[in-house]
Amino acid sequence: MSIQLIRQAFNGNRPPPKMWRSHELKEYYDVVIIGGGAHGLACAYYLAKEHGITDVAVLEKSYIGAGGSGRNTAIIRSNYLTSEGVRFYNQSVKLYEQLSDELNFNVMFSQRGHLTLAHTDGGVNTMRRRAEVNQIEGVDSRLIFPDDIKSLCPYLDVSDHPRYPILAALYHPPGGIIRHDAVVWGYAHQADVRGVHIHQNTEVTGIKVQDGKVTGVETTRGHIKTGTVLNATAGWASTITAMVGVKLPLTTIPLQACVTEPLKPFLDVVVVSGSLHVYISQTDRGELVMGASVDPFSSYSMAGSLAFLEGIAGHVLELFPSLSHVRILRQWAGICEMPPDYSPIMGFTPVNGFLIDVGWGTYGFKASPIAGKTLAELIATGKPPILIVPFRLSRFEENDLVGEKGAAAVGH
Amino acid sequence: MRDGVSPHFAIIYQVSGAVIGELMQTEQDTLKTTPNRLHPKQGEVIDRSTTIRFTFDGVKYIAHPGDTVASALTAAGVKVLSRSFKYHRPRGLLCCAGHCPNCLVQIGDEPNVRACMRSVEAGMDVRAQNVWPSLNRDLLSLTQLGSRLMPVGFYYKTFIRPKKLWPLYEHTLRHAAGLGEVDIDTPSGKFDKQYLHTDVVVVGSGPAGISAALGAAEGGAQVLLFDENSALGGHLRFTVPLHSSLPSQVSKDLPELLEALSQQPNVTAFTDTSVLGWYQDNWLCAAKGARLFKIRTKSVVVATGAYETPLIFDNNDLPGVMLGSAAQRLLHLFGVLPGRQVVIVTANEDGWDVAADLQALGVNVAAIVDEREHNACSSPYRDGLANIGVPVFYRHTIREAIGSSAVSGAKIVRLDGRGEIAPATTQVLQCDLIVTSMGWTPATELLYMAGGKSEYSADRAETVPVSTPPGIYVAGRAAGIHAVDSQITEAWQAGSNAATFAGFGEFDELAAQASDISEPRRTSERVCVPGKKKRFVCYCEDVTDEDVETAIAEGYDSIELLKRYSTISMGPCQGAMCSMNTIHLCARANGRTVQETGTTTARPPIAPVTLGALAGQNVEPVQTTPIHQWHLDHGANMMVAGLWLRPNHYGDPAAEAVCVRKQGGLIDVSPLGKLQLTGPGVPKLLERIYTNQWHNLRVGRVRYGVMCNDEGVVLNDGVCAHLKDETWYMTTTSTGATAVFEWLQWWLQSGWGEGVHLTDLTDTYAAFNLAGPQSRTVLEKLTARNLANKAFPYMRIRSAKIADVPCQLLRIGFTGELAYEVHCPSGYALHVWEALMDVGRELGIAPFGLEAQRILRLEKGHIIVGQDTDAMSDPLSANMAWAVKLNKPDFLGKPSLMRISAEGPKQLLVGFKMVDPDVVPAEGLQVVAPEVDGRLKIIGWVTSSRFSPTLEEAIGLCWLPADLASQNGASFTIRMGGDLKAAHVHHGAFYDPSGERLRM
Amino acid sequence: MLLLTCPNCGDRNVSEFRFGGEYGPRPKDPSATSDAEWANYLYMRHNVMGAQTEWWHHSDGCGLWFLAERYTRTNEVIKTFPYVKRDA
Repeated sequence: MSIQLIRQAFNGNRPPPKMWRSHELKEYYDVVIIGGGAHGLACAYYLAKEHGITDVAVLEKSYIGAGGSGRNTAIIRSNYLTSEGVRFYNQSVKLYEQLSDELNFNVMFSQRGHLTLAHTDGGVNTMRRRAEVNQIEGVDSRLIFPDDIKSLCPYLDVSDHPRYPILAALYHPPGGIIRHDAVVWGYAHQADVRGVHIHQNTEVTGIKVQDGKVTGVETTRGHIKTGTVLNATAGWASTITAMVGVKLPLTTIPLQACVTEPLKPFLDVVVVSGSLHVYISQTDRGELVMGASVDPFSSYSMAGSLAFLEGIAGHVLELFPSLSHVRILRQWAGICEMPPDYSPIMGFTPVNGFLIDVGWGTYGFKASPIAGKTLAELIATGKPPILIVPFRLSRFEENDLVGEKGAAAVGH
Repeated sequence: MRDGVSPHFAIIYQVSGAVIGELMQTEQDTLKTTPNRLHPKQGEVIDRSTTIRFTFDGVKYIAHPGDTVASALTAAGVKVLSRSFKYHRPRGLLCCAGHCPNCLVQIGDEPNVRACMRSVEAGMDVRAQNVWPSLNRDLLSLTQLGSRLMPVGFYYKTFIRPKKLWPLYEHTLRHAAGLGEVDIDTPSGKFDKQYLHTDVVVVGSGPAGISAALGAAEGGAQVLLFDENSALGGHLRFTVPLHSSLPSQVSKDLPELLEALSQQPNVTAFTDTSVLGWYQDNWLCAAKGARLFKIRTKSVVVATGAYETPLIFDNNDLPGVMLGSAAQRLLHLFGVLPGRQVVIVTANEDGWDVAADLQALGVNVAAIVDEREHNACSSPYRDGLANIGVPVFYRHTIREAIGSSAVSGAKIVRLDGRGEIAPATTQVLQCDLIVTSMGWTPATELLYMAGGKSEYSADRAETVPVSTPPGIYVAGRAAGIHAVDSQITEAWQAGSNAATFAGFGEFDELAAQASDISEPRRTSERVCVPGKKKRFVCYCEDVTDEDVETAIAEGYDSIELLKRYSTISMGPCQGAMCSMNTIHLCARANGRTVQETGTTTARPPIAPVTLGALAGQNVEPVQTTPIHQWHLDHGANMMVAGLWLRPNHYGDPAAEAVCVRKQGGLIDVSPLGKLQLTGPGVPKLLERIYTNQWHNLRVGRVRYGVMCNDEGVVLNDGVCAHLKDETWYMTTTSTGATAVFEWLQWWLQSGWGEGVHLTDLTDTYAAFNLAGPQSRTVLEKLTARNLANKAFPYMRIRSAKIADVPCQLLRIGFTGELAYEVHCPSGYALHVWEALMDVGRELGIAPFGLEAQRILRLEKGHIIVGQDTDAMSDPLSANMAWAVKLNKPDFLGKPSLMRISAEGPKQLLVGFKMVDPDVVPAEGLQVVAPEVDGRLKIIGWVTSSRFSPTLEEAIGLCWLPADLASQNGASFTIRMGGDLKAAHVHHGAFYDPSGERLRM
Repeated sequence: MLLLTCPNCGDRNVSEFRFGGEYGPRPKDPSATSDAEWANYLYMRHNVMGAQTEWWHHSDGCGLWFLAERYTRTNEVIKTFPYVKRDA
């Protein structure tokens, strides 16, 4: 039991401490981070904590965590296909493992295991390829077969009757789910404690560039002078980057999810099927959280579609036939920006002082801690950490793409 | 009017001859009686002529057809139906309309059923959810003792250290949470879908909905009318309209409205049907049990009514605290008394209506507690009730519900001139029922989804629609209109406007203008009465007003952050009971107005809907070849290949492969993509889409080609034949057939289509590959065509009749043997296949499947696009440089391939053999190089591998660094389990490298 | 569900169509492009939050590839029209 709670319980009418404060917009900040999601707030936190850079503003056009950070299905894993991807996400998982302690805020990281099902021979080969790469990079990940799958997840239909029989699965024990909003709030709180200004309801309307160098940011609440801007607005990154005249290799596409009414626990692991384009997990509250692949066409609209609900229901029942009476409570959508090689774009741009943390497709939330940490290092030292060198923007001209696209289209 | 589902119009009015006292004498000891059942009355929906039995937590109860589970249990005096989510407090009927979480039960294998909406069926096994050991003695309710230590968001602040214990904490949390259970043996069930197309959809069949439907239908529009309840009529089924002076008699308006509706052929009505959401371009979704409706309409009238808003006060969740509309539903629809002694807490005339109803039915009205001044009350029952001695407390409100598991009394308090609680004015009243009628929250989800906007009117303490998108209309309580007369008049006009929008009649601007509705205010601004105990804002998640204040003080001060932190409105009610109250509390805590505070986004589905209904019949598409049944009949082991099901083998794939090499085999390759291109522009097109040369391919010849996209990534491969002058025949990979067809259509239609006509013949033709040394002999027995090597050499195409069927023969082979691909019309596929098999069998030919084909092609070193290449592979690296002609004019991928060629590929796809010939490294294994520090560096990976039955050793293809791959015989290691296995590079085909056997 | 107007077939559910991405013509002389120009064509996108001209294919219908102008924030379709080749 935390002291904080006991104090809160017997404090009578004294208000609890504020998680973050409101501030007037200052005239100047050393660093301006656009986007108050998990990435932007993590970067602000690591800038303050590890590099002593506290004169930082995080600008959020809505409320913190309003974008992808609060809309994803909260799956954490590091079983990627490329060595670059595995190393990067493995560091992220390690940071996540320590995050509750570090932020003194329980982000409820539940490392309950992650299963990626393979329904075809080709799928099995891809899973084996990932397992091998993962193991070589020191990540716990292995191929398992129907008997073991059944014992980890009794409600899955592992018979050979379904349209897409389950042949094998990539089992990744350290993978799991987390309370996504808590990650946002925990970083926001600790950044605030260290002096970072979090400005909610503050939308960026323009970015000033002089002689190829950033000099300031225009917002709905006024002008800010700064020499360093980080665009951490995954989903909307093209719209911000267009303000400095830079085009990005991104297409923004909605990604939808839905949640059921609460049920007593019966699904311990995270289950993903690439062939059926579905991923599903059960939260600590008992709801099933489910998602699919990105929408069939690009859009910034978060309205969601009936076709998504129909499709995912069919696919979930294909995997879990006993769930036909389970009710969907709510659907929602977030927007993702897909780069051509399904890998992020991090670091410098042709505009001096304008940095990007974009191209996070459907795999951004998982990377929040490590993305924040490496970008903070980049901002503080001016040198890209080795982990993010493969993700530089110039790779597209250099014909040096990252091979993560080779993995299945649904990679949650 | 037509009934949307059953041919008969729902029978609403039924007077039964049965009388009170439904106890079955013979089973007196085991069956529960129904002490709360009233005498039969007009308007009730139960059929008293029969009784049915069901059980609740193992105890037997009786019901009448038409009863809901909740009405039958209430008739038997059951008050506690569930336990709350966090504190496991007892909960009873609150809304009786399917909107709150209080009556969620498990029925058989179905979790989270709303007992107030589900009709009783004989033998139903109803159980309480999430209780241990039982509903009435739930030990988890002990959590309340520690509730001070479990404020809102407590789990974020605790269980942090030691980290090791978190999984244990989490396990405990998980098992305390959740509601109903999923039975692993639940059968799949039958579900289906129906498309509906109409002019106007009206959602909600209260007086407004019916009137809107009539208004629209009269204009000539086809109208679909939906209601989530079991019968049409909305609140008229159970309320006393204001202008009626006769308590307890259902309005005469309803029969008139229903009669008018029954005369209107343009209206089709659907009861028990929840409209779940509005999607772009007036695409609506509705569900009725196991059926999902998908509806395209031209316009929509939202007549969804309103949710009665609960009041927040101490112990406001105690069973026996009920909304006024809930009490009325029980009385009028089911003839069930919700209590014996009632305290009515109200701020409007609706509460007086309930009081009058209850009083007339013999319930002792202990008090009417009205927060208004005496002169603000204009209820027609005001004087009548006072005259018969019902105590009325004006300028009073309730402070607390008294009782442990059900209401036994109410504490009421006086309000001072500013509306605050006057000190030392508490009085205790005995009662077993507290009814609150404090006002209404318009059900605007559908309106908001459609893009409509409301504003909060402080005068009315309700939101009022201020803008609606074109084609969307609002009527009735959803539009803030409460008086039945106004509802009917205004809704008729809304319906008429909707019909006009849908193209029926002229728009009458004057008539279309909504008139100003001035009605007495129905909703109180008072949402919460302060006190000392728990006051629940959100019933689903057990969130109290103090929790809300705490969360806001902590910084979760916008409505969206508040929702996510407190989980308010994220439970089964989705905000129906709590959203307006939360906004009020949030506004007050922030010192802002309700309008400034805003709302959270309305998200579908409006009512929870089963996965079964959404999935429908859930048929995953399957493609099979024309001779699929033959394969099954001959013992084929089928495998999934994209959408196709194809024979993997017929028992022994290695033997099949050997058979092809020795005598011959026949494989069904019908899934190959087959495209016909005609016209003078074809050669130019082929030059642009393939990486090699085509203009010089003479008639009768076949060539292999690779297609790339402009990134230089291999998209597809296959052969293309020059059939005659301007006709070409292209084959593609099986799984890529659709993509290639679309790809070609795109280039043809975006500028490269001059003189080319493209036809997809994939399904028109079946295709079989007859491979092996005996293949020519087999074919010769079935055709008159000269098949001699000179007349029909390798890489040629010929027309021929095979077993009297006109076919195209392509002399090509993936297997490396003399082979003919027979393309015949799909309708004759079985005939041709069987003819080939009949003749072939004598010559030792057997069918072979994909597995044998994979072995055979690997022995030849042929790649499979998608297996040996992935979404990043170019043909120069994939060992197909021979098929890339960089010196020809522009083609797709050329600029990228030029760049790759200039730099030199970094990785190459190459053949390998194992040093230990019996070791087959599985596909997907990594090629590694040990580093100085002992760690392994990944330098490549195995894409294909098999034990070759012909060569009797393991062979494969893998990606390697270019310098290593280019040295024939160079050694490298593959990681297998914990070991490293040695392999060496093998250039060229493993089998028949000079290709003699193809050209025999 | 979004309705798209196929220039051949009229209003149809968007589920009948395949999205083809934002309009961006191939360079006239691809071999003459610089690395940056070629990468710009291959990968860089305007990705506007606003009116976007884009390709659609009536894949479960007549097979026509055509252009649409659509607001990407609301998905409101401004117009659809057949592609007209602008140069040889």
